Amino acid sequence: MPEGSPASEEELPWERDRKRVAPRVPHLVLAWSLDEPERLGESIAVDRRLTVGRGGPLADDPAPRAVPVRFRPGEVRPCDPIDCSRIARVHLTAEPKDGGIRLRSLARAELRIDGRTETDGIAREGDVVELHNAAVFLVVSRPKTPAPFRGDPPVFSFGSADPFGIVGESEAAWALRESLAFAAGTSRHVLLFGESGAGKELAARALHGLSNRARRPLVSRSAATLPASLVDAELFGNAKNYPNAGMPERPGLLGEADGSTLFLDEIGELPESSQTHLLRVLDGGGEYTRLGESQSRASAFRLVAATNRDESALKHDVLARFTHRITVPGLANRREDVPLVLRALLARIAAENPSIASRFFERRRGVLAEAKIAPSFVVRLLRHRFSHHVRELDRLTWLAIGSAEDDYIGVTEAVDAELDDADSGGHAEITKDALEKAIAELGHRPTQLTKALGLKNRYVLHRLLKKHGLSEPRGGDG
Amino acid sequence: MKDLAKILRETLEITLAADDSFPKRFYDRLFSDHPEVIPMFHRNSPGAQRKLFAQKLAMIVDHVADPEWLDRELGKVAASHRSYGVTPEMYAWVGDALIETIGEACGAEWSDAAERAWKEAYAKIATAVIAKG
Repeated sequence: MPEGSPASEEELPWERDRKRVAPRVPHLVLAWSLDEPERLGESIAVDRRLTVGRGGPLADDPAPRAVPVRFRPGEVRPCDPIDCSRIARVHLTAEPKDGGIRLRSLARAELRIDGRTETDGIAREGDVVELHNAAVFLVVSRPKTPAPFRGDPPVFSFGSADPFGIVGESEAAWALRESLAFAAGTSRHVLLFGESGAGKELAARALHGLSNRARRPLVSRSAATLPASLVDAELFGNAKNYPNAGMPERPGLLGEADGSTLFLDEIGELPESSQTHLLRVLDGGGEYTRLGESQSRASAFRLVAATNRDESALKHDVLARFTHRITVPGLANRREDVPLVLRALLARIAAENPSIASRFFERRRGVLAEAKIAPSFVVRLLRHRFSHHVRELDRLTWLAIGSAEDDYIGVTEAVDAELDDADSGGHAEITKDALEKAIAELGHRPTQLTKALGLKNRYVLHRLLKKHGLSEPRGGDG
Repeated sequence: MKDLAKILRETLEITLAADDSFPKRFYDRLFSDHPEVIPMFHRNSPGAQRKLFAQKLAMIVDHVADPEWLDRELGKVAASHRSYGVTPEMYAWVGDALIETIGEACGAEWSDAAERAWKEAYAKIATAVIAKG
C-alpha cells in the first residue's frame, strides 16, 4: 500500500476515529411505570420502526416488537417484554424521524407527547411521552453502540446507587464515574466543578473510596465555613500555646489528611492569601509549617477541591495545580436519572421514617415495596429546570410529602408553585417591575397580590417574590 | 380459541382504558358481595394487590390460547391459592365480580358474545386451577 494513502492512515491508531462520528439513536427511557416501577431507566432504542406493546411478539404486529434494554457502557442488555396491564398488546408504533421519534397510537388509551394529546406525533429529544396512567418515557439520544468503560466498571444493580452512592444510568453519570475512577488511580490533585447540589461531595467521596488512600478517613471541610481570621490555622494547624497561652496543639486539615484525601469544598471562598499559602504547599510536595512552629512538616495528602463557581474565580496559578478537572453534571445533563434519584431519595426517606413509609409506599408480601407516585409528579420533575439539582429534588420530594392530602406523592399546590411548567399559571410574564408596582399599591398582602397579579395561588406569588428578591424580610412560606 | 382470545384482549383493553379504577371496583364488588374473603388479602397493600391483579389478568388473557403456558402458570396460581385458603366456591364469586365489573366498564361496547367469551374462558381457567389445587 503506498505511503500516505487513506488505507494506511487507518492502520495508525490515532487515525482510526478521526473522521468517525458515533451514530446516535433516540431512546424512550422509562421514567414512571404503574406496574413495573423496578424497571425505571430501561429503554427502547428506536433505530427502526417498532411495535411497542405488552408482552412478546404477535403474528400481526405492524413492525418488529420493541425489546426494552438496559443500556450501560459497553453493554446493551435485552430485558423481559413490557408487562404492564395498561399498556395494550399493540399500543403504538415508534420509528426514527428527523432525529426524534414518530409515535403512532394504536390503542385506546391517551398518548401525550410533551403535554399534547396525540395519535400521530413526533417526540423530540427531551420530550416527555405519557401513556395514560400506564407509563412515562423521556426521549433521550444515545450512541448506537455504547463505548466501553475505560477501567474496571463498578458493579451494582441497574438503576440502583453505585457502591459510592451515585445514582444514575445516563451517559453523564457513567462519564462521571469513569473520570473519577481515572483520577482516583493517580496521585494528582483534583478539582471538581459543579453547581450547588449536583453532588460534588459525593463525587469526592467516590474518588477517595476508589483510591489507594481509602483505608484512611476522608477529611472534608467547606472553605466557606472557615472563619477568615483562622483559615491558615485551620488549614495548617498550630503549635501548643500559639497564638495564645492555653491554645491546644492542632494538626490542621493538612495534618489530618496525611496519607488520605483532603476534600475542600467551595475552594473559591478561600481568601487569596490562603490560596497562595496552599499553592506553596502543593508546589512543595506537601511540605508546610504549622503556625507557631519553625520546623516544616510534610503531609502526603491529595487535595480534592470543589467549586460551584467559574474557573475564573480561582487564582490562575492555583487552578494550574489541579491536574484533573472534573465536572459533576447537574440534573439538566442527566434528566433520565431524575426518576432513579427520586426513587433512591424516597427509599432513604422511607427507611428513616416508618410513618411516611406506611402512608406513601405499597407493601408486597408484607415487605415495603414501591412508593406511590403520581405520574404527573414525575412528568413535572422531568420538565423542571433544577437550579440546585439533587438537593432541590430532595426538597421538592419532602414538599410533596409534607403537603400531600392523600396517600400518594403528587403535584400539590405547594409543589406546583415550585416547579417549572408552561401550564402552571402563566406567571412567566410577570416582571419584577410589575411585582414592585403591585407591592407599592397593595403592600405585602399575599391574598390581594395573588388576585391582582392573576396568579394561580399564593405559592406562585411566594416563588416570584423570592426569585426577584422581593420577599418580605421575615420570609416564610405564607 | 383465537376469536375468544381476541374478544378477551379487546374488552380488557376497553376496560382498562375506560376505567382507571377498574381493579379497585372489582375488589369493592367482591368484598361487598363476599366480605368473608377480605382477610385473605392482607399480604399486599390494596394498591399493590390491585396492580398484581390487573397484571395477572392481562397476562392470562395474553396467553389464553397458549395451553403450555396456562398449564405451567395455572399450577403456580393453584399452589398459591391453596396456601391462602381459597376454596372452590370462591372462584365463582371472583368470576361473577370480574365479569360484572368488566361489563360495566365496557358499557355500550359490551355484547352477549363478549359475556359468553369471558364466562367460557373464566370457567376453563377456574376449573383448571381447582383441578390443580
